[in-house]
Amino acid sequence: MAFRRLFQALNLLPKTLAALGLLALPLGLPSVANEVGVYSGRHYNSDQQLYKQFTAKTGIKVKLLEAKDDALIERLRSEGDKSPADVLVLVDAARLDRAADLGLFQRTRSFQLLRDVPLDLRDPKGRWYGLTRRLRVVVVNPKLVNPAKITTYADLANPQLKGKLCLRDRKSVYNQSLVADQLILRGTGLTTKWVQGMTANVTQPYFTSDTPLIRAIGKGQCGVGLVNTYYVARMLNGESGAADRALASQLKVIFPKPAHVNITGAGVTRYAKNPEAALKLIEFLASPTGGRGYAEANNEYPLKGYGDNATLKRFGPFKGDGVSAQQLGAKNSAAIKLMDVSGWK
Amino acid sequence: MLRRTLASQRSFLGVGVLLVSLLALLPLGALLLVASRSGWAGLLALGPSGGEQIQNTLLLLVGVGVLGACLGTANGWLTARCHFPGRRWLQIAQLLPLAIPSYLLAATLVDLGSRVGWRVHGLAWAVLVLSLSTYSYVFLLSTECFGLSGARLQDASRSLGVGPWGCFWRVALPMAVPAIGAGVALAGMEVVNEFGAVQLLGVPTLSAGILDRWQGDGDIEGAIGLALVTMVIVVGLVVAERGFRRRSRLWSAGQESAPASRWPLEGWRQGLAQFCALLPPLASLGFPLLWVGISWGQLPLESTEDLVSLSLHTFALALAATAITVAAALVLAVAKRWLPNPWLRAISFGAGMGYAIPGTVLALAFLLLGGGLGLAPLALLVWGYGDRFLAVAKGGLDAALERIPPSVDESAASLGSPWFEVLRRIHLPLLRGPLLVAALLVFVDTVKELPLTFALRPFDYDTLAVRVYQYASDERVGAALVPAVVIMGLGLVAALAVVPSLENGDRSPTD
Repeated sequence: MAFRRLFQALNLLPKTLAALGLLALPLGLPSVANEVGVYSGRHYNSDQQLYKQFTAKTGIKVKLLEAKDDALIERLRSEGDKSPADVLVLVDAARLDRAADLGLFQRTRSFQLLRDVPLDLRDPKGRWYGLTRRLRVVVVNPKLVNPAKITTYADLANPQLKGKLCLRDRKSVYNQSLVADQLILRGTGLTTKWVQGMTANVTQPYFTSDTPLIRAIGKGQCGVGLVNTYYVARMLNGESGAADRALASQLKVIFPKPAHVNITGAGVTRYAKNPEAALKLIEFLASPTGGRGYAEANNEYPLKGYGDNATLKRFGPFKGDGVSAQQLGAKNSAAIKLMDVSGWK
Repeated sequence: MLRRTLASQRSFLGVGVLLVSLLALLPLGALLLVASRSGWAGLLALGPSGGEQIQNTLLLLVGVGVLGACLGTANGWLTARCHFPGRRWLQIAQLLPLAIPSYLLAATLVDLGSRVGWRVHGLAWAVLVLSLSTYSYVFLLSTECFGLSGARLQDASRSLGVGPWGCFWRVALPMAVPAIGAGVALAGMEVVNEFGAVQLLGVPTLSAGILDRWQGDGDIEGAIGLALVTMVIVVGLVVAERGFRRRSRLWSAGQESAPASRWPLEGWRQGLAQFCALLPPLASLGFPLLWVGISWGQLPLESTEDLVSLSLHTFALALAATAITVAAALVLAVAKRWLPNPWLRAISFGAGMGYAIPGTVLALAFLLLGGGLGLAPLALLVWGYGDRFLAVAKGGLDAALERIPPSVDESAASLGSPWFEVLRRIHLPLLRGPLLVAALLVFVDTVKELPLTFALRPFDYDTLAVRVYQYASDERVGAALVPAVVIMGLGLVAALAVVPSLENGDRSPTD
């Protein structure tokens, strides 16, 4: 009996298919004038609030598609001029630069963006603009490693840290950008020596994410490591429980002097159907109001100053090394090669 | 009149096979086109880490194959043919691990481990995680065989004085080898395709390598080269599975058999059986739930509105994909029986290859196709699911159809029934269990599917799996668990829908 029902269901299949096709049709149509399609590599629920604010302010609706950055780049690439995306938001300068190299962005000019986004945090050709800042810093367990001994990234290659340094693997684009940053500042020779020195200090398997790395430092399995500030901030905020908060508050965050600054950024896509609205959205996100929301969502730093995030204020001030986001992207593949041959797993 | 003439010829079936195969093979064609456009020279260079990736993939396959086969077969036998308290619940519980995405399990283990100061890392953990999340394939296919098809022979052997162990080793297991083989092959394909969990556990495999090459380095030729190696491995799996099946070809008309009674277990045997059946679902379900338990109160809540829309999207997509995939698999499986044309067989064999292509590469193929055909994203997505999971549905159906003796078809045909009458009145009723199992597998797989959904979904159309992965990959396991619990719920509902069909042996044969 039950089987007959299944058979009837199979008979209904063509109709179901047709209905599905109809359902899908409107979604395939190009966007209308007061809509803007956003492909975003970020995924924070509070981003949605920000887009709603934008809609309330301008009347422009935001359609959103969030995925991993690299996947978005590939999707945009293969969609070509049929892409429904007007804005592409990516995390990490190297990816922004790669998307620009692939011709996925168009050049834009906006006085507001020139005013709000510092020179080193945007593309000189105006293809993409930084929206928030994120820093890769040193985290130390003071019981195992004397924080005073570490003032620069170079100090991590000190042989005294043998067996105490823990690192995330080289697949992490954050690590790639850090090495690119050092390549620009210190040249190939010194950077190679630095990476070799660090990998000689690493005795544990490389980590695949930052949070477990921070916990390992807190538990004393490692003495020191490299992580992004917002992972520590999340733990301090108690987002992953009281135990993590207690653990993170024992640790010392050190901003190397000078510190490597990375960005989240966005640009108008090459084949945007609604480039004016797209630019308006980017202007909103880069403005002090919008930008604060974007940075706050993930405990990142705004484009200028330190913001008013209480947890970030605990870390104190830092000084950026002045390497522009665009340069980081240009050196990315050289950095990956260097890490590969120098034993960064 | 016309209908009868058309149908009595088997041309409809042939056209169906060609259509299904064309749809399934089109994306492969698109890929080959890209490969040929960029020249074939780069394909054979595996790169510096290619060897390690191949080695890891093979080790994982062997490890998961052995562990998964043991877990699946043991529990399939225990819950189908033995009697002990809690058996029914434990039988349903075996299906729960299917509903837990392996990347979520890996992420929770890594996270929990780092809280207590353990490093969850490396090959052994990867084998464990992937075995837990795939042994249900073996369980499902083998228990169906132990419980229904082999019941009569088992009873016969029992009446001849064979004990439970003898019955298992000498009667039931040899009969179940095709089903177990099909299950292990499915698990193997899942392992080859996995990238989230292995990346989190620091085990570089081929699929992770493909993703790196393609999206990280922008090296499409290198990616396709690795994809070809992967396809060779999967073709090897499929061929091995067929070899198994051929060696133990046995026919039985399944549900006609009278209900067989189970072996009662007592004392320590009972406890051992309960432990054995409880451990795997407890491990795969327990760790995420343990996580929820520890951090109760800090679980960030998704808005209800959001959760409902995510669930509806997921459910609608999975339902559409299931209907289409099972129907297509049925066409291929039935055609194989009626049309002995070697060309058609070769084509329909190729049609199942979508499963062999890593999801990310398949997604690329569909993006290329979608651009050319101007198809709506959702239609493209459902097509993609169908292509990817055709083999999942087809494997079980093929194995089940092979157990129906050809003499049944022959007698029906000699009485003047055309193929669709035989299908409707004989095959489909006998295939009810396997069809439902196939539907369940495709449904659950679609609910968990990532790479295609990521690449092809339209604006504002997230699914539960997408949300879970985004949170987990952003190291926010807590936020990932809320949608994950809904996935488990959907999986549980689907499992509950299938279990009665595994239990036919208990009921009267007229059902």
